Amino acid sequence: MNGPTIAARPTRPRPGARIWVVLGVLITYTVFAGRQVGFDISTFWNVWSNPLWEKFWPVPWDWVLDWHNVLDPLLETFQIAVVATLVGCGLALPLAFAMSPLTSPNRTTMVVSRSVMNVVRAVPDLFWAKLLVTAVGIGAFAGSWALSVFSLAVMVKLFSEAVDGADPRPLEAAKATGGRHLPVIRTGVLPTVLPEYVAYGLYVFELNIRASVVLGLVGAGGIGRVIEAQRQYFRFDRVLGILLLVFVVVIVIEQVSVAVRKRLV
Amino acid sequence: MIRFNDVSVTYRGGVQALRNVDLRIDDGEFVVVVGLSGAGKSTLLRALNGLVPATSGSITIDGTEVVGAQSAELRAIRSRIGMIFQTFNLVNRTSVLNNVLMGRLASVPTWRSTTGLWPATDTEIAMQALERVGIVEKAYVRAADLSGGQQQRVGIARALAQEPSVMLADEPVAALDPVTSRQIMGDLRRINREMGITTMVNLHYLDLAREFGRRLVGLRDGEVVFDGDIADVTDETFRHIYGRAITDDDLLAVDGEPTE
Repeated sequence: MNGPTIAARPTRPRPGARIWVVLGVLITYTVFAGRQVGFDISTFWNVWSNPLWEKFWPVPWDWVLDWHNVLDPLLETFQIAVVATLVGCGLALPLAFAMSPLTSPNRTTMVVSRSVMNVVRAVPDLFWAKLLVTAVGIGAFAGSWALSVFSLAVMVKLFSEAVDGADPRPLEAAKATGGRHLPVIRTGVLPTVLPEYVAYGLYVFELNIRASVVLGLVGAGGIGRVIEAQRQYFRFDRVLGILLLVFVVVIVIEQVSVAVRKRLV
Repeated sequence: MIRFNDVSVTYRGGVQALRNVDLRIDDGEFVVVVGLSGAGKSTLLRALNGLVPATSGSITIDGTEVVGAQSAELRAIRSRIGMIFQTFNLVNRTSVLNNVLMGRLASVPTWRSTTGLWPATDTEIAMQALERVGIVEKAYVRAADLSGGQQQRVGIARALAQEPSVMLADEPVAALDPVTSRQIMGDLRRINREMGITTMVNLHYLDLAREFGRRLVGLRDGEVVFDGDIADVTDETFRHIYGRAITDDDLLAVDGEPTE
């Protein structure tokens, strides 16, 4: 039997000169930009030889592990993250369905919800925090709100992709039964994307724990406010203690969240 | 009674899937539609329940016009038409019962189907539908854990739960092995006879069409090129419909031949 005609093997394509041009432009611009902002690599050592660093040690653990000083604000940070995750992800669920061409009830709903989310996303979370602190006053309430908006933005971005990529076939079957839009989505699409929804929700919670520490710096409550206050008193030993504690909490929550997410998807 | 009157469907992009189709199907008929892929079989079925809107012409079911029907009207039409799909189109991650309950969507208040608090009467209808296709014992099993044949039976049960007067089956056995294909076709014929549900089945395999059909409709390039009693169908008829000679690929297999 005659086999197929064997063609000559092609030569391996070479990466070409383009990569070197790109690299060259990148390096040249980095050097130029560094000069412009007065960055000097030799100042690196000046930063680390600053006497400031001696103030970080030893950590006063009896102050750090005190309920009133640190643990209570840390619990507040945790609570802000929980509330913000639930509110943000709760709002993200209907929004993601409204935004997807697959599941949107009509074009108007799709365009309006997409525009709203574009505006929400365009504003940075720290700015939301500052805005809300100004609006509702310093404290955990402003922090919860700011972080809810942040959660909504992140969750919609992540979950929308799951909705857009959902299997359209059960949806078609649900439509064919003559159901209304909402029950059709609920029974034909939601069960197919629910594991992703929960997994992304947990991920957003992880982000929120870290973000709520940062938000405290601008007066939005929680442990961040304590860090900021101690920094202003130059009590860097206390700051380091708090940071180590936060580090442990974040690691524990991340490990739990990763373990749960692995089982889901 | 179903009537297609001069129905044409042109997709966006200009592909004409149906050309001036005229059909009249009486209550309780079992019609097999054959044709090459791309001949318009799927479009014909989907035009009937409005999943694909007809571009021109008129389609009526018991006098109700489908073409141009919107929202509530269209949902009412769809609720009377059960549909079975080539790829089963089940929600894999949920139970068999939940999949069958989907067939009750049009009859149950939104708040109940959305919260999953189905009325007992509707759960009963779903269970009876599962009994009719012989897999009620799988009611609480995840749909993904069933075999292909069992999944298609869930698809049939979902359609039956609508208590439909018309059943559309779009290549219901194309994803199944020959033995299971015969069983599923047998289920459809039995349901047609026992319950008097008007049934339209798209098929590719000519021997299955001969074995189970009573009336045959042949589509070629979106046109009805044959419409008649299956007893009058010869190999010449199939050659005419397919526009080429019949090959082994057009036949399912000899009776009960096992496959891997």
